[in-house]
Amino acid sequence: MKGKYTMIISIGLATLILTTVMFTQFKTVEQTDITAIETMRETELRTELANWKTKYEEMEIKLTETESKIAEYQSQVSNSAESETILEKELNETDMYLGYKKLQGEGIEVVLKDNSNTAIDRWDLLSIVNELKLAGAEAISINGERIVSNTEIATVGTQFILINGNRIPAPFTVKAIGDKKYLESAITIKGGYIDEMKLYEKTVEYEVKDIVEIPAYSGKIKFEYAEENK
Amino acid sequence: MQEKKIAALLGIMCFMLTVGICVQMRTVTSTASRMGRTYAENELRDSVLKWKEKYDLAYDNLETKEAKLDKLRETASTSSEASENVKAGLEQNNMALGFTEVIGSGITITLKDAEVATNKLDLSSSLVHYSDLIEVINALKNAGAEAVSVNGERIVNVTAITCAGNIIKINNEKVGVPFVINAIGSSEKLYGALTMHGGYIDKLKEDGVTVEIEKKDTITIPKYNGVYKFEYAKVVE
Repeated sequence: MKGKYTMIISIGLATLILTTVMFTQFKTVEQTDITAIETMRETELRTELANWKTKYEEMEIKLTETESKIAEYQSQVSNSAESETILEKELNETDMYLGYKKLQGEGIEVVLKDNSNTAIDRWDLLSIVNELKLAGAEAISINGERIVSNTEIATVGTQFILINGNRIPAPFTVKAIGDKKYLESAITIKGGYIDEMKLYEKTVEYEVKDIVEIPAYSGKIKFEYAEENK
Repeated sequence: MQEKKIAALLGIMCFMLTVGICVQMRTVTSTASRMGRTYAENELRDSVLKWKEKYDLAYDNLETKEAKLDKLRETASTSSEASENVKAGLEQNNMALGFTEVIGSGITITLKDAEVATNKLDLSSSLVHYSDLIEVINALKNAGAEAVSVNGERIVNVTAITCAGNIIKINNEKVGVPFVINAIGSSEKLYGALTMHGGYIDKLKEDGVTVEIEKKDTITIPKYNGVYKFEYAKVVE
């Protein structure tokens, strides 16, 4: 009798240990799986994948646009007056993208001022323009000067900053049209533009607006040295 | 007595079995997860390739369609002188938007991180930062550059340059050292402005960045592959 009990107990004990070990093992397996997904290589691949998807989607948008333009031209192929209108429509659209049109929309207005300790410099303006573009700004101006593809922001002397060839004195009012929430968070993000400006004791104020008006570029983008490579 | 022996033997056997299973499982798990990982990676690699292929296909398709559109514009503009002017304006605009590959004289600037440790304490200043790229591009525009690219990425009005960790992105594409900046314009004027004493290039050299500037007769700058899309801005007449 005594021997049977010993046998049952020892077998029971062994089974218990076995079960415990197995469960522990299962837990470990689960954990290793999670870390495996988070390896660097895979993360990189995922970013790459997302990147190509975005690029493809952009290309699809362009393709659809081009196709609809082709359709428009083809539908008016017999009517020369109509096809002229389409050409003009295309011209107007590109004029808008280039900055030749006065625009209006929601956005943000940022005012940068000199104070008793610091002055606003070229980098403060270059940096905010870059941040706003990253946040999808569709149009930007500084003190009424529209930022276009060939706009320079240069230092001249100590009192002015040269923008589009014009001397601009402080304070600077930077206006941008775009998703107002994106634009706001782009500059207010922790460690972002406003934090950095404060770190250097510079004066920045901003206001999110439902209507921001941005003037047209008064010049014309010209090519003297560059030509289309056909 | 014999039963006790059997019990002890069974216990020992069970214990050894457990150890054996444990060892076995551990080995299996590590191989399985390694295999699982590479399998997942391969899957991902496949999809990356698949999307890239789709992109390439769409790109080719677009090129064909654009050529067709150009022809249609041609036909549309032959009807009158006014429409020919409109077409010429449109072509000029598309060039300014960066939608065409352009060629012309200019300069090439190459920026590299310092090869040897400079005697400066601040090692970071001898590296090329995103801010350096923004400053150099700006200096080129100030000197009248008509088209600029960095490592093949055309700089257009909507281009943003970002820096996350040590990765610099232009037009959302990764770029790395060496940075080759091409600019079309008067090569004399660009060269003169950029090498000016006290200019930004001067500052970079002082910081220990390796800078090469070369005047060139022909520079080709690729077109911008992104899109312009205005969702919030409306034209005020």
